[in-house]
Amino acid sequence: MTTMKSSKRNALNVRAALIKSVLLMVLMCVTGLALAHGERNQEPFLRMKTLHWYDVKWSVENDATIQVNDVVEMTGKVHFFSRWPEVINKPSTIFLGNATPGPVFLRVETYLDGVPMIQSTGVELGHVYDFKVILKARIPGRHHVHPMINVESAGGLVGPGIWINVAGNADDFVYSITTRTGTEIENLGSYAVPNVVKWHAIWAIVGVLWLLWWFRRPLIIQRYLLVKQGSWSQLITNNDRKIAASLIVGIIVTLIYANNITKEKYPRTVPLQGSKAHVDTPVNKYAGMVTVKNLSAEYYLPGRTVTVKAEITNNTNSPIQVGEFTAANIRFVNHSVPAAMKGVDVGYPGELVANDSLKISDQTPIQPGETKILDIEATDVAWETERLSSLLNDPDSSYGALLFFYNAKGERIIEEIYGQIIPTFID
Amino acid sequence: MKLTTNEATLLSAVTTPNSDAARISRGLDMFVVAILFFAIIAAFHIHIMLTVGDWDFWVDWKDRMYWVTATPMLLIFIPAALSYPFMMKFGLPIAGTLCALCLVIGEWISRIVGFHLWTYFPYSMIWPAIVLPGLMLMDLVLLLSRNLFITSIFGGSAVAFAFAPANWPILAPYHEPVVHMGQLVNVADMIGYSFTRTATPEYLRFIERGTLRTFGGESTLISTGFSGFVCMILFFVWWKIGEWLTNLGTIPNVVKKHVGLGDDDDEK
Amino acid sequence: MAVTHEEVRQAKAIAPFKFNLKPMIMGLIVLIMIFGGARWYQQWAAWDYGLDATDPMFDKYWMRVFWGEIIVEVTLFFSFVGYLWMTRDKHLNNLKPREELRRLMLWVSMLVVYAFAFYFAGSFYAEQDATWHQTVVRDTSFTPSHIFLFYMSMPVFIILGFSLFFYAITRLPFFARKISIGLVLVVCGPFMLLPTVGYNEWGHAFWLMEEYFTVPLHWGFVFFGWTIIALSGVLIQVMKYMVELLPKVINEKGELTS
Repeated sequence: MTTMKSSKRNALNVRAALIKSVLLMVLMCVTGLALAHGERNQEPFLRMKTLHWYDVKWSVENDATIQVNDVVEMTGKVHFFSRWPEVINKPSTIFLGNATPGPVFLRVETYLDGVPMIQSTGVELGHVYDFKVILKARIPGRHHVHPMINVESAGGLVGPGIWINVAGNADDFVYSITTRTGTEIENLGSYAVPNVVKWHAIWAIVGVLWLLWWFRRPLIIQRYLLVKQGSWSQLITNNDRKIAASLIVGIIVTLIYANNITKEKYPRTVPLQGSKAHVDTPVNKYAGMVTVKNLSAEYYLPGRTVTVKAEITNNTNSPIQVGEFTAANIRFVNHSVPAAMKGVDVGYPGELVANDSLKISDQTPIQPGETKILDIEATDVAWETERLSSLLNDPDSSYGALLFFYNAKGERIIEEIYGQIIPTFID
Repeated sequence: MKLTTNEATLLSAVTTPNSDAARISRGLDMFVVAILFFAIIAAFHIHIMLTVGDWDFWVDWKDRMYWVTATPMLLIFIPAALSYPFMMKFGLPIAGTLCALCLVIGEWISRIVGFHLWTYFPYSMIWPAIVLPGLMLMDLVLLLSRNLFITSIFGGSAVAFAFAPANWPILAPYHEPVVHMGQLVNVADMIGYSFTRTATPEYLRFIERGTLRTFGGESTLISTGFSGFVCMILFFVWWKIGEWLTNLGTIPNVVKKHVGLGDDDDEK
Repeated sequence: MAVTHEEVRQAKAIAPFKFNLKPMIMGLIVLIMIFGGARWYQQWAAWDYGLDATDPMFDKYWMRVFWGEIIVEVTLFFSFVGYLWMTRDKHLNNLKPREELRRLMLWVSMLVVYAFAFYFAGSFYAEQDATWHQTVVRDTSFTPSHIFLFYMSMPVFIILGFSLFFYAITRLPFFARKISIGLVLVVCGPFMLLPTVGYNEWGHAFWLMEEYFTVPLHWGFVFFGWTIIALSGVLIQVMKYMVELLPKVINEKGELTS
């Protein structure tokens, strides 16, 4: 009786252990959950303290339809945050490009502060650079198109994006260039491919014929036994040896001949160019104009509100107001400041502009020389949909943002704000 | 060497033309060829893909330094290991050729069906390297010499020495100079720049970026020489690994009594 | 010498040996349907619903596929292996040589199916992953590529490999008497690719943000790919098996004797 009970218990234990181990195996395979394509993929502290993209404009409207071969231009500014996270490499090696689903768009030209960006470059923290990315539509479909900067070891940091519908036929795509030696390349995507296929085919045929030379004979059992018997002359005949020697000569001669004709046809070649482009460090035109200090910052989860208590000193000679608070591509605009409202283009992606206004505890302008403490409240579901609420899962509970101030003349002054941010769960 | 009675019977049986034994033997040949074909594509391709794959995928990674040095070294591993059983157990000097063909078949299928038809990369950007001449030379040296040391030195190094010359005829058109946005690049750089790879910024390319000593631009020769030297050693080492993996024995089966086998059956 | 009735009767009783290719062909067709179907699915569902893992449509079109795969694969694994064990031949010591030969050839033919599955896991879907990395800004553990590579192709060949191993040890005396290390490596070694996936995803989540293929983080896969070299060892063992078995069914002239 006891034996039956204990054996039943054993069986249950075994079953429980089996289930646990299967689940554990599945779990081992699912590490790294909660990641995705695009900007939502990255941890909030990374997105808020690395790049801030603003004044981003596209040459077509959001959700516009264009044809294959049409050109799209993206311009704007990208600010490299001075409080760059310690855990990722500084942007001493970066590459300006586009976040599109692969080569659905061709990259025509890219510039950072007017410097061509075909190579990688390096930038300085705390500075803002003008970028320009020109793309050419290649594959039909509905594509999300953003500017992007890859930072060595951090990966791609993505700017705001719009939807672009590309209509037409992918076969109609054409991209022509002319080499320095005068060769006209009609279509870069198919250039010199027939030659590649030709040489692959030649060598493949030689290889196949050589294999068939052996496969036509009984292979496995017979040869195994002949090897055991030591009958090497039956296994590798004189004929085989003659053919092998001829093949060695033939292969070497073919290689020499192929290289000679190639040298004649392409006498002037250059190796892959691996240099780095250089961009001068831009002058920070806002330096010293406004001093901003984060006194405290809270993130209230249920209400999706970030509240920052900031001490702001106006060092200019014109009164200023807080016009915009932007973090990780989301824009919170103060509706009471007309100049700030003008800063939001009509076609700008709506999901990146908070519906609610930016709430400032004191809307009266900060006078020249005055220091004010303001509560800045930014509320929107965007904090959640853009997965910035997963601040809670970050090993670093801090934030970074840009504050846009507007003076009496409607001129804009931009300053960083950063600090620790505390989550609040209860009212 | 003398065959056992069973072996002698079997050899006589399978060498009798049109006999049942010959037919069974040929059928087994067909299965084995099919098994080896698919298994070698899988194993060799995944090996190359994850060691020198990036250079092989993209035209703008095919430089004079890393690509030329590393690829032959990694190409040698599995063909050298398989050369042992192929040659020393079956008298077939074809491991290199078979591996090379299997590899490029796997690579071309992947580039066409995956890289091009799925994610729209153009063929000028994604063609695989030619690997057959060197690996075939390796086989041929083994056939003629039947000697491990001679094959290591001349066959192993042939994989490296043949690599750059085999690929220059197809790579040269992509190294013509181009001026774009006022910058000098070559056609391969242009292709890499133009056809967006969202996760491959330019700096990620593991390519020659210049040193103080490139011996007057003869980087390819230097890389090939070094690669050839390492290939000699690698052939020998991997032949030995192949020998070890081929001659693995057995371990006792503790559950064999459940299938009606007793301890005395081990004697059979 | 005149042929006796006895000899004629005996000669008539020996059935010719025929290769049974049906299971192999069926297996290949099933695999083509599975892997071809998956590739077809990727062609549209990856682009329409597979670019953003936070999108609810991703859950519908991709995560459901993932969970479905896991359930089916775990079920099939235990079903196949369990069936093969439960229906094992309990009298391998009494197995007739002709039957043994039939089983051996069937087993070898199913190795073709195994190798075919390994092709899809090791070559087709594996290299395709490189291209999907270039399409999304950052790859994750669950993408239209990974869902068919790590969570379908690899489990499929693991199921086949283990089934072949269990067939060998329950129906082929040569492989049942002693466990072939080469066979273990060939069919179970690639199984270790799956935990390597866990290690790989962990590395990508916490260290490696840049996507290129030839990083040490991936070399666990390479190492276990090498176990396929042990296939040559298995081949040698099949040779030894043939030396032992064939003379029991054929004579010196190559004619079947039983």
